Amino acid sequence: MSMSISPLANPKGTKKLCELCQKPAYLQCTKCRVTFYCDVAHQQADWNSIHEKVCELLSSIRTPAPFSCFQADRDIHHMQTLKRLEHITQLSHAAAKSWVSEGKYSEAVPAAQLSLRCAIDIYGRDVVELVPAYLLLAEASIGLGSLSQAESCLSQAEWMVMKNPGCSRTVLHLLHRTLGHLHSAKGDYSTALLHFANDVYYASEEFGLDSVVTARGYFLMANVFMKQEKTDITNSLYSEVASIWHAHLSKLMECYSQKEHEGAQYFDVAQCAEVNQMLSVMLEAQQQDVNTHPAYSTTTFNSLGQRALLSHSLAILWFLCNDHKKALEFGRKAAEFSQQCEHNSLAESIQDLIQQAETHLNPEQTPIIHH
Amino acid sequence: MASAVFPRQKPRFLPDINEKSSVKASLHGKEMKKPNRGSAERERIQTTTMNADEIAQFRYSLHQNLCVSMLQEGFHGSFKKFSSLLQRWKDERLAAGPDSELWLQRSLEEQPDKLEMLREHLTRAEAAQRADQFVEVYESHLALAKFFSEPEDMWLRHHFYKLGLKAARKVKTDSSRREAEASEHLAHLYLERGDLELAQEHFEMFHHLAVGQSWQDESGHTHLSRACESLCRVYTLLAQRQLQCGEYRAAIQLLNQAYEMAKEAGDKTLEGEAVYRVGLAYQSMGSQTTAKQFLNMFMEISTALGDMESLGKAYKAIAKSLESEDKISDAIEHLQKYLEVCQENNQHENRQDAYMCLGSIHISRAQYERGCEYFTQAFEMACSLDSNPCIEKAQLCVGIARAHSMLRVYTSHLQINKPPNVSTLISWKETKEDKFHETLCEFAGSTHCS
Repeated sequence: MSMSISPLANPKGTKKLCELCQKPAYLQCTKCRVTFYCDVAHQQADWNSIHEKVCELLSSIRTPAPFSCFQADRDIHHMQTLKRLEHITQLSHAAAKSWVSEGKYSEAVPAAQLSLRCAIDIYGRDVVELVPAYLLLAEASIGLGSLSQAESCLSQAEWMVMKNPGCSRTVLHLLHRTLGHLHSAKGDYSTALLHFANDVYYASEEFGLDSVVTARGYFLMANVFMKQEKTDITNSLYSEVASIWHAHLSKLMECYSQKEHEGAQYFDVAQCAEVNQMLSVMLEAQQQDVNTHPAYSTTTFNSLGQRALLSHSLAILWFLCNDHKKALEFGRKAAEFSQQCEHNSLAESIQDLIQQAETHLNPEQTPIIHH
Repeated sequence: MASAVFPRQKPRFLPDINEKSSVKASLHGKEMKKPNRGSAERERIQTTTMNADEIAQFRYSLHQNLCVSMLQEGFHGSFKKFSSLLQRWKDERLAAGPDSELWLQRSLEEQPDKLEMLREHLTRAEAAQRADQFVEVYESHLALAKFFSEPEDMWLRHHFYKLGLKAARKVKTDSSRREAEASEHLAHLYLERGDLELAQEHFEMFHHLAVGQSWQDESGHTHLSRACESLCRVYTLLAQRQLQCGEYRAAIQLLNQAYEMAKEAGDKTLEGEAVYRVGLAYQSMGSQTTAKQFLNMFMEISTALGDMESLGKAYKAIAKSLESEDKISDAIEHLQKYLEVCQENNQHENRQDAYMCLGSIHISRAQYERGCEYFTQAFEMACSLDSNPCIEKAQLCVGIARAHSMLRVYTSHLQINKPPNVSTLISWKETKEDKFHETLCEFAGSTHCS
């Protein structure tokens, strides 16, 4: 797979640099013959991350253009290269995104780098199209803990946004969210809050006040407030997020029951993990709240309702992700909570859900755990 | 100073060997300059350095800045309300289309003072809500509602009164005084908007809450009396609507309710008016005896109050009832009383009205002479009052009465058909003098007897 090369043997004027760290390269990928690495570790990392998927594509775009006499031929070749570059950008972007959402940040970095490099090749520097790539790279860097790297990426992105005043709110919302991540990682909570606030503003303008995108922004803000130990604000934000997600999931559930068990997938694995993490954190926070303030009857009362809501949401989530065992577990929990609190408007839909989950479980006998 | 300026005036191709580098020289120059700067300039530089907040204020719209600052402080509920209100306005405007009035109005986003106010009170309300201090919540909503006093902001006022009512219901310590007041505000708004049913509902709630409490406002009115007065008004308005549809029974029931409320309010004038309206309603339904009972009550109240105008109204209304019962002489008697009351109190317009009434009742009994007299008096009164419609009406009535009074004699002349009669007719037609018909009257009378 790899073939060693010596920098001294390179033709004059060409420098073979490592794909990942831009140092002089000693290894060459034997499949595509156009990517170089400084050592085996880097090659292995690149292969795991993205190179496996794009190896063949890269060889076609990185080999120099064949000589052709006509302008038309040269144009066609140029167009083809552009198309391939776009394809690679999309591929690597998607790969990096899924790595990031799975929390495997070191795997994400090479893919994000490749996506950024291809995007620069297509669009040039300082354009708003590069912002998503920079943001991904920054997110991966934050995950890896190299904040200075993330900061430089983000300031690049900010600069591009600043230079293009009419850029879309989706881009702005993503930028501010990543900036918020960075500042909360740095411990600068007030700046983080400012960025998350901007994030929520843009998201609500773009997707609506009750969308789950906005809810995610609320959740991130709540986490920052939690770190600042403002529990009352955190709780109210959590309850807002819970209600938004509950409404969203209930709607999905309705869709599901109307469509009669089609094979439609509502969440991919990464999304499912993210939502699950979010809801579980909130459920735990409610639990802790009850443990720390057992005296206030109103708070326990409120929190019981919240816990019922959250458990129900989790049950629906697992049900839609085809993990009926977990759905049943959370459904029973939700039923328990809703029985304890007085106005249990949820009880009916919870019972409904439990029944559906049971019917899915019993004929199968051996539940399929989806991961 | 001179050394600092020198290299600029004469740029050299190569840097001077004596100096270390051009960059350093310019830096050096800056340092040299610094102490010479005036303190004013330094101040200017200090003031022009901006922090991120100030930059944001310039770069983004006020709306965005307010939203972000609310969110930053954790007031997500306020943000939600704020945004949804603005969105609601936009939607309504779009739904109304470019032909509507709404289309031309200034949007809230263009009115910074309103946005600031919204932000301030919404955040205060949310903070109070988190701390379960509903009094504070209620007061901020109320302040907002009072702030939006312009007619085009009625929807906002409505919204915040509603929120205020919601908050007031949660206040446990004041035996629902705030709930009562919030209901009252809301009810007044509905009344202003013309939603009488909703207004009635909220006023009834207000009344229900105010019964048995000794709450007073600043001017010393009790809440209960205000509730009763308002309810009386609403019932009356509702009844008027029913009357227009011809639903007399429902109207009378409502008017009776209004009367009850007026009695409870303890305001005699109001009570009198309520009774009068009940009487009139019975009159228009045709049950004159009941109408007279109520009108007599009205008369008693008016005499007790010494309100002569109302007394006159009472006499007139009773006369009308009597007239429709064919008790003409009683009716005339009452109208005479009406006239007397008016004369005593120098109510010229009413006096003119009384003359007109008397005139028409005489005409209806075929006493044209008397009718004519009254009408002439009415005409004179109208002339002295200088009100055109009255003058015209009186003129017309005088004319009709005269014509009627002449008609009988005139026809008898025609029927007799002898030379003297004919000649008198001809001479009358030539002169058209008024005297003629008086003499004719006697003559006709004599011929009639024979």
